[in-house]
Amino acid sequence: MKKILLPLLFIFIFIFESIFVQSLPAEVFHGERILVPHFLIIAILFLTLYGDSKQGILYGLSFGLLFDVVYTEVLGIYLFLFPLIAYICAKIMRILQTNIVVVSIISLLGVALLELGVYEMNFLINKTDMSFSFYAQYRLLPTLILNLTFIILFSYPLKRLSEKYVAYLNKEK
Amino acid sequence: MPQFFLNKRLIFLLISIIILVALIGFSLRDREELTVPEQFLKDTTGWIQNVFAKPQSYVSGIFGDLKDLQNTYSENKELKSRLDEMAKLEADVQQLTKENDELREILDKKETLRDYSPIQATVIGRNPDRWHELLIINKGKVNGIKANMAVVTANGLIGKVKSTQQFTSTVQLLSALDPTNRISAEIQGKEAGKESFYGTIEGYDEERELLKLKRIPFDAKIEKGQNVITSGLGGIFPEGLPIGKVVDVEPDEFGLNQTAYVKPGANFYDIRNVMVVKREMAQPDLSDMIDDEEEEL
Repeated sequence: MKKILLPLLFIFIFIFESIFVQSLPAEVFHGERILVPHFLIIAILFLTLYGDSKQGILYGLSFGLLFDVVYTEVLGIYLFLFPLIAYICAKIMRILQTNIVVVSIISLLGVALLELGVYEMNFLINKTDMSFSFYAQYRLLPTLILNLTFIILFSYPLKRLSEKYVAYLNKEK
Repeated sequence: MPQFFLNKRLIFLLISIIILVALIGFSLRDREELTVPEQFLKDTTGWIQNVFAKPQSYVSGIFGDLKDLQNTYSENKELKSRLDEMAKLEADVQQLTKENDELREILDKKETLRDYSPIQATVIGRNPDRWHELLIINKGKVNGIKANMAVVTANGLIGKVKSTQQFTSTVQLLSALDPTNRISAEIQGKEAGKESFYGTIEGYDEERELLKLKRIPFDAKIEKGQNVITSGLGGIFPEGLPIGKVVDVEPDEFGLNQTAYVKPGANFYDIRNVMVVKREMAQPDLSDMIDDEEEEL
C-alpha cells in the first residue's frame, strides 16, 4: 500500500491540474489574467528536496513525458524541463539548509523557471506570439501567486509524504 | 579543453538537448496520426479522467445552478419579452423549411453543405499549461470521430478535432495559435437580401480576445454586429455553424484586404458538453483540386 501511495498521489495531481483549469470560474479566466497551475512540479520538487533526488528526477522524467503526450502533444518540452529543474533545485539545496521555508521558496523558484522555460520554448517554435511584458504582467505574476498559495497550503503534507516514502524505500533495501 | 569534454554532465546535457530538439521536431511535423504508444497513454489517462469528470461536473453544476438562481428574476423578465417574438419566428422558420424542402425536391437536389450529423461528447480534460488550447473529449474513433471535424457548443463553433484515439479525442480551440488553423467564413448581410462577404478566420488576438477574420475584399462594407458563420467552402466544415459577431474592421497592412475582428459566440473557457459535427456531403478529394498537369511536364 505504502509503495503505491506516492505514485497514486502524483497521478491524482496530474489529473487535478486539468480539473482545476476546467472548473475555475469563467470570470477568473475571462479576466485578462491567466492562471496556470503547476502543482505537479511542486510535488516533484518536494520529493526531490525532502526525499531522494534520484527518485525526484525519475518522477520528473516519467510525468514530464506523460504531460507532453496527454496535454500538449508536443513531445520534449516538459520531458526535458521537469528533470532539469529538479536537478538544478537539488544542486541549489546543497548549499542551503533544508527547512520548510527554504524549500518552499526554492520550489516557487522552480515554478518560475518552468514557466519561463516553457514560454521561451513555445515562443521559439511559434506556438505563441505573446510579448514578454504582457506575459510577465498577466501570466507569470498571477501564476506565481496561485502556486504560492498551493505551496503554503500543502507544503507540510507533501513534506511528510516524501519523507515517509523515502524512509520506506530505505527500509526495503 | 579535453577536460571540458570529459565532463560527464556536460555531455549528458548536450545529448539531452539534441534529443529534445529531435522530439520537438518530430512532434511539430504535420502528423496524420499520433504514434501507437501515445494513443495508448492518452486512452489510459482518458479513462482515469472519465472517472473524475463525473463528480467534477456534478459539483461545478451545483455552483452553476446557485449562480443562475441569483439572476433568475432579471433573466425571466428579458426572456418573457422575447417569447412573443419567438412564436412568430418559429412559425416563419417552419414555413420556410417546408418551402425549402419542396423547392429542393423540385430541383432534385438532396444534399447541401448545410447537412451534418452531430455526435454528443463530454469534455473530460483541458490542457493545464494553457499555451496549447486543447480539450480532451470522451468520444473517439469507435464513435466515428475523425481528425479535422468541427466542434461546436450551443453558442457556436469552438474548434476542430486535432487527433483521435480509440476512445478519446483531442480538440484544438479556435483561440490556439496555429497557422494551419484556417476556417472559411461568411459575413452575413445585415438584412435579408443584402450581399454577404467571405473571408478566412486566421489567428486569434490574445490580448483583445477576438478572432481575426482576414482576406475580406477591400470594398466590402462591413458593420459592427454582423453575424459570422462558417461558409462550408473550406471542404471540411459544414455550412452555417455560427462563429460570432463582428466587433471591429480594419484595413490590413497593404490596404488590399480588410481584417474584421470577430467576438466568438461561444465561451472558450466554460466548456462542458460539446458536439462534434460530421459533414454529410462528401469531402472534396485533395488530388482532384490540384492540377496534375504540372507533373506531366
